[in-house]
Amino acid sequence: MSILQLAFQNFKTSFKNYLSLIVSLAFTILIFFNFQNMANSSTMDILGSENARNIEIIMQAITFVLVCFMIFFIWYATNVFLAKRKKEIGIYIFMGLTHQKIGQLYMIETTFIGLTALLLGLVFGLVTAQLFMMILMAISEISVPISFDLSPASVFITVAVYLAIYMIFVIKGYINIIRSSVLEMVSATRKNEYVQEKSWLLVIKAILGIAVLGTGFYFAIKEGGIEVMGNVLIAVVLVVIGIYLLFGGLIPLAFQKLARHKFFLYKNERTLWINNIIFRMKKNYRTYAMTAVLMLCSITALATGFAMKNRYDGIVHFRHTYIFQALSDKDNLYEILKAQIEQDNDVIYGGKIEILQLNEDAVDSRFNDTKVLVSYSQIKDLAESVGLDFDFEQPDENSYINVDQLHLMSFITDISSETITINQKTYHIQQRTDIPYLGYFQEMFSFYLVNDNVYEALSLAGDKAYIYNYQISNPNNFAISKQKLQENQNGLGLVSMDPNDNESEWIKVLYSVCIFMFMVFVLASGCILFMKIYNDAFEEKERYLVLTKLGISENTLKKAVSKELLISYGAPFLVMAVSSYFSVHALAKVMQTELLSVNVTSVLVIFVFFVFCYFLSRNIYLKNTGIQSHRKY
Amino acid sequence: MNTSKVLEIKNLTKNYGSRGFQTQVLKGIDLTVNKNDFIAIMGPSGSGKTTLLNILSTIDKPTQGSMMLDGKDLTKMKNKELSKIRKDKIGFIFQDYNLLDTMTLQDNIALPLSLNGVSQMVCIERTLQLAAVFGLKAHLNKYPYELSGGQKQRGATCRALITNPQIIFADEPTGALDSKSSKDLLECLKLVNEQGQATILMVTHDAFSASYAKDVYILSDGMIRCKLTKGNDRKAFYDRIIEMQASMGSDFS
Repeated sequence: MSILQLAFQNFKTSFKNYLSLIVSLAFTILIFFNFQNMANSSTMDILGSENARNIEIIMQAITFVLVCFMIFFIWYATNVFLAKRKKEIGIYIFMGLTHQKIGQLYMIETTFIGLTALLLGLVFGLVTAQLFMMILMAISEISVPISFDLSPASVFITVAVYLAIYMIFVIKGYINIIRSSVLEMVSATRKNEYVQEKSWLLVIKAILGIAVLGTGFYFAIKEGGIEVMGNVLIAVVLVVIGIYLLFGGLIPLAFQKLARHKFFLYKNERTLWINNIIFRMKKNYRTYAMTAVLMLCSITALATGFAMKNRYDGIVHFRHTYIFQALSDKDNLYEILKAQIEQDNDVIYGGKIEILQLNEDAVDSRFNDTKVLVSYSQIKDLAESVGLDFDFEQPDENSYINVDQLHLMSFITDISSETITINQKTYHIQQRTDIPYLGYFQEMFSFYLVNDNVYEALSLAGDKAYIYNYQISNPNNFAISKQKLQENQNGLGLVSMDPNDNESEWIKVLYSVCIFMFMVFVLASGCILFMKIYNDAFEEKERYLVLTKLGISENTLKKAVSKELLISYGAPFLVMAVSSYFSVHALAKVMQTELLSVNVTSVLVIFVFFVFCYFLSRNIYLKNTGIQSHRKY
Repeated sequence: MNTSKVLEIKNLTKNYGSRGFQTQVLKGIDLTVNKNDFIAIMGPSGSGKTTLLNILSTIDKPTQGSMMLDGKDLTKMKNKELSKIRKDKIGFIFQDYNLLDTMTLQDNIALPLSLNGVSQMVCIERTLQLAAVFGLKAHLNKYPYELSGGQKQRGATCRALITNPQIIFADEPTGALDSKSSKDLLECLKLVNEQGQATILMVTHDAFSASYAKDVYILSDGMIRCKLTKGNDRKAFYDRIIEMQASMGSDFS
């Protein structure tokens, strides 16, 4: 039998064992391919070149994440193959095969597995490509005709990226086999010997873990100025490390302490499952930590999507407070313009306001934007005439209220230190509001609401101007009035809002991509845990056989397994749920929006999915360990 | 001596293979085990020792015959009931120990009792008590990989004894042990048997091990050929067993 035949034989017989791994690999390929296909698809072009560029950047970022994801998956899968192979390899060595030959055998076999996964992934990828696009567009609420096009480039990129990563790991495995000693391979059959880790090491890890995680959470929710961005980065790194230390330290420590407490242990099935968890935790803690981090990412991705959407809706609403706004240095145009608009449209509300555009040399500030003063009573009048909320006290003579725009993201969460210096006098911020009193102009200029007396006193530091604002009953009919207003010869700066403007459509796509990433990440974390447990079941088979020989009933074993698996799924879930509160909280602050409901909902979604995974896992585990399948005696 | 019957086997046969190609492994075995017996079953390879033990320990089912344990016919029971019988009435000692490598020796020993819902205090007490008898007190917190073969097998014996079973089946308990460890284990088995704590049925091919039993049955070709009973002297008993083996001539292994 040639090496090739032997490898194919091995591949065929072990196919069933590796099925879960192959499916997971195929799944990553499917997702990767679909994103590539979408990025290259012509459907996106409809959104306009500006949007397409934005989306391309997002797609590239996501591709990067997916490549990382793929690397991890392949690394994990090839490791499992290698570990399983090594056991058999010991036997080949005794049969007189050289290391090189065995290495080749491994390479060929693993390549078969890799190619099968690639084929499956691509075929299903091609089948689901259009579906994928349709779902995405449906979530985005963007109605574009979806053309069914498959770009050969995306197939090529997918195959190239996957094969490159895969071959690197296969070669790594080959080198590993060539370098490993005979003794090591033969003893790979032996069971894992060390069950417990040194207590002191665990204690150190546990303390470190709690400290690191706590610091991470602190940084996540800490208020700050421009350094918030840095804080968030620190928080991310600390939380990831903290979660690893938690699974590597605190959780095993807790269970080891429980196991040492015999009075607790010798009750019900605790002897079985607590000891098993200690054993499993030592081998699997990285997997648990990784799934927790992955789910945390997924929730954060989802929350980002929702936050973007919220902000986007907010901004649209903000801009559409007035359909027409005119800036002029004349103060008598309100009725003239209104009359002009009312030739074709009904004005629902409107108002005029006097503003003071500060001269550049009068202001001393970090930023170079146009600064505009408005007086308290002017804004109050405007708010009353257009029906916006206004519940501010008159600021004192040393402070101002910042009438701000809505930001898609703002990293400054602590505003207390902001000041503005006009004519050598420094005014402190008292409050900030993003109520759109000044409509679109609020996005163009920085408005400072000051005490009426201050406004009067500073009237020479700038030029007075007037803003006229109008809202019409049928925004879709704005074009005709716009034209007429433009013909007006009063030296106006005119702004009009197009309700069908698709300038920010890309945010919608981003939003739906975030939702998609959430689903992908959650699926992936479920898959990883499932796969891990699926594989572990085969290792546990012997142990459960001993237990059945001893006459331990099926029922007892089922209960023990249920509890053990509950911890396997529950621990990462709990850690994730707690951490997600902090990450989403931090995000909510940066995005200045309420995300708690998104957080709770996404945790619930993951919970439901995990419950499903748990029951599936449990049933398969019981079969794989031979607890449930009927014994032949 | 108390002579109440623990296990009674009548005309036990076992066939393997499909129709037309059947081999009869056990050809009608009759055996009675009374309380506090220590029986060794010897025989050459292929004589049916392992098959007999598997059937006795309810892991395999006989083709014909009856098997009464504590007044109940095991051949007519369902798997679930058999499982319960194994748990409550039978203790097992295996050649390869079969201790669970995920837990400490103490947890291993306590496992059957704790799963039976016995109070924790009793579990702890019983493990300590048995560990003292078997000289394992210093090793209770160790994991199986930290123990020698002899210690593991003594631990497995403690586990078999902890539920106070009606009968203990030992399958080549000294098979993987060196002579010193074998001797230690057999002395322990003899001790618990003499103290009236255990009824033991042991399968072995080793005459030395068998000489610790009170009675030795020699199985050959699926039938019990003869029964030897120990007198007062173990050494003399050992010689008689060896003699018997020699006279039967077949290959003991």
